[in-house]
Amino acid sequence: MFEKVEGILRKVDADYADVRYEIKNDTIITFNGKELSRIGANSTDGFVLRVLKGGGLSSVVFTREADAAKAVRAAVENAQLLATNADKPLSLADAEVVDDTFVPELDEDPRGVSMQEKLDLVKRYNDIPLGYQKVVTTSLSYQELIREKYFVSTSGTRIHEDLVTTRLSGEITTKEGNLLQNVRVRAGGASGFRAIRDQEENLEARTAVALDLLKAKPVQAGEYDMVLNQGLAGVFTHEAFGHFSEADIIETLPTMREKMKIGNKLGSEVLNIVDDATMPRQLGFYKYDDEGVRVRRTQLMKEGVLTGRLHSRRSAAEFGEPLTGHCVAEDYRYSPIVRMGTIFIEPGEKTFEELITMLSDGLYILDAKGGQTSGENFTFGAQYGYVVKNGQLGEMVRDINISGNLYKTLNDIVAVGNDLTLSRAGGCGKGQINIRSCHGAPHILAKNLVVGGA
Amino acid sequence: MEELLEMANKVCDEAEVYSIEQNHRPVTFKNAKIHDVDSKFQSGISLRVLKNGKIGFAYTRNLLEREELLRNAVDSLKGGVAADYAFPFTRSIAELDTYDSSVEKISGADLVEECKRVCDILKSRTGGEISVSAFTYTENIRITNSSGTDVAGKTGMFGVYAGSVFPGSATGIWRVSLRKGFEKMPDELLDQIADVYTRSLDVVEPKGGKMKVMFMPNSMLTLNWRILSGTSSKSVYDKTSPVADKMGQQVFSEKLTIVDDPLDDSRPGARAFDDEGVACSPLTLVDRGVLKSFYYDLHYASKLGAKATGHGYKSAQWGGDPISLKPVPSLSHMSIRPGRESYWDLVKLIDRGIIMEGALGAHSGNIPNGDYSVGANPGLYVEDGKIIGRVKGTMIAGNIYETLNDVVAVGDTLYHASFGGWVPAVLLDGVSVATKG
Repeated sequence: MFEKVEGILRKVDADYADVRYEIKNDTIITFNGKELSRIGANSTDGFVLRVLKGGGLSSVVFTREADAAKAVRAAVENAQLLATNADKPLSLADAEVVDDTFVPELDEDPRGVSMQEKLDLVKRYNDIPLGYQKVVTTSLSYQELIREKYFVSTSGTRIHEDLVTTRLSGEITTKEGNLLQNVRVRAGGASGFRAIRDQEENLEARTAVALDLLKAKPVQAGEYDMVLNQGLAGVFTHEAFGHFSEADIIETLPTMREKMKIGNKLGSEVLNIVDDATMPRQLGFYKYDDEGVRVRRTQLMKEGVLTGRLHSRRSAAEFGEPLTGHCVAEDYRYSPIVRMGTIFIEPGEKTFEELITMLSDGLYILDAKGGQTSGENFTFGAQYGYVVKNGQLGEMVRDINISGNLYKTLNDIVAVGNDLTLSRAGGCGKGQINIRSCHGAPHILAKNLVVGGA
Repeated sequence: MEELLEMANKVCDEAEVYSIEQNHRPVTFKNAKIHDVDSKFQSGISLRVLKNGKIGFAYTRNLLEREELLRNAVDSLKGGVAADYAFPFTRSIAELDTYDSSVEKISGADLVEECKRVCDILKSRTGGEISVSAFTYTENIRITNSSGTDVAGKTGMFGVYAGSVFPGSATGIWRVSLRKGFEKMPDELLDQIADVYTRSLDVVEPKGGKMKVMFMPNSMLTLNWRILSGTSSKSVYDKTSPVADKMGQQVFSEKLTIVDDPLDDSRPGARAFDDEGVACSPLTLVDRGVLKSFYYDLHYASKLGAKATGHGYKSAQWGGDPISLKPVPSLSHMSIRPGRESYWDLVKLIDRGIIMEGALGAHSGNIPNGDYSVGANPGLYVEDGKIIGRVKGTMIAGNIYETLNDVVAVGDTLYHASFGGWVPAVLLDGVSVATKG
């Protein structure tokens, strides 16, 4: 396989070039309500060529090997156009030359499980919510994505790495009168098919939430103190802070870059945040990024102070900071960009009960339902919550969407729990989708978050 | 393709071959400096087969091994996905002017020049952090099936996306210009970015409550997503559309007429056929507030005993790869009929309210129910018909089946919206606004 890629590289006249060739194997089984709406396995492939010449870096995506010469011409031309028009030449931070093959260990290789068995399993899960009268419909998908990546650079790096992701995702919709409610279902990971098994309790629990929401009251708009559960606190970490640790986002925003200087205090003393994609068997696990750089554990915040950020070779050179190995692409259709791997708030001392007592009055909100960020502002939805009065959990509430501000909210996190968990299915969209985007946190207590209400 | 279709016909009752070629060249300027010049050349093929009332599906990038593609499609038949429809025979399609060959002659240097020009204008007029990207895109789609359909269409586009970002954030005032061939970003759009940006530099902290809210194209996805959900044949079939039994009834304000016109080739991206080879035609979904029709692909048309409306597209919520997607009901050319008021006329109609120049979290919340609850990103605060400044940490919320009954006015200009449609500004009353304090 490497010969094919090296053949393309030999045609490039540049200061540096790399090619990533990928074969993507996709298996998908989808139910809509009781009907199977899709099943099948497919394989596609393609190339991403990057060329650095005269201080300009361009990437060209192509899917036909016969287009290689055209792609090389376009990349060189684009790089020269960049070099001619840029104020200063671009450089890439030095990376270690690597020759390695890395195939992750799996708890049950999904390729060894028959399509029929996968279908039976998804059907059995899907039938759980459909057994309840008020469940009006479901959608439930099993997706298995295997990326076989071959990366070669003119510096001499040759890496073959496989990424195997399994994922169960869907939605349960309940209805009473004119009121519709829906709840998400998620499972899976990067450790094999075992992560998809034994999800009956998960499905039962999600169905119970979707049914209970029919009786829940809409939350009142306003400002609240809140305890966030692990899933939600993980999304919060990703949206409210993580994206601004991605160097490519702030690189060209001078005022944000100033505010995000290493050493600046942005959060409260209880806050320690890390990105660690080196932990095996977690969703975000990988060995090399799509520039051939080995990923490292990166401490992003220590006691509220910024201590590091996530880099590509380009951004590391621009910032003069160490490489972290976080330049990742969705697949062969994209050139890589800076992405979080496994970002989480490190656990503290408090138990859940202590956090609820500290909260006294406010909301306990659970499980993510979409989040988004743009510079300092972020929003995210919670699937459900409970009113807390005098340190006691009260009635269930729905329609909870939260808004906050990067610079303020990180200071408003006043306590961190001792019960860290990491997410098992991801889907961060930053121009490309990263289904292995992993985040986590323990329960946390945050003050002064705005709820949009309904 | 012919050979593949022939091979598939031999082992199945019916077959359909979809092929696409896409060429994309974007140039990006960030903070008014050149940042990226890239290219993409992509192509692929997908195959659908029908046999004994079941459908099979497979796709590939390179048609090097026809047998393997066919085998994957036939294998997937075993799963037993039911399909009670036939692939259509589309005898003729509308002749559309969607491809201006001059788009192929736009060079990288032309794109760089246009970005530079826009950067210079916006930099001098706003002093903000300026981002501009310009791109060319061409797409070639062909669909053949065993019923005898053989339709093809070529599309070309030139676009410029420009914004001035507020200091300390990544949010700003953005406008997009999309044309069939090269055309400089119009002055009106550049003026609007500059005028709106400079008037909203101050951060203000108004009290919340129910007030007027104006949706601009960059926040319209909030409403659009819920409208699309309510009027989709899939939602009707799934019993998740709140208006499934409201055909012919008033569901929104009479100021709202919502149409989908894929044949309008005065704008780029017009389509004469959908991704299943069904001929496109204009469709009125809501006429002066009255629900007139749902939109259908082949699958849901057969499920509901209706006629396919030419709305089966290989699209997904977050983009996705067309060859790998199966067609779903999709409103690809949605538009709201414009009203009479200009942007500044609309602002004058606001005694107290928020202009949503962008929204955060349009994808979260209870979409089927029509609920929305989104962050203002940015939100401009208006008092007595004047923009006073912008708000932070503010959310607006409502339900489309309530708030779209309280339309104050609809703007006179159609803007290209990020989700693919063309929409005017829409001013609503009685929307809940939550602020800090």
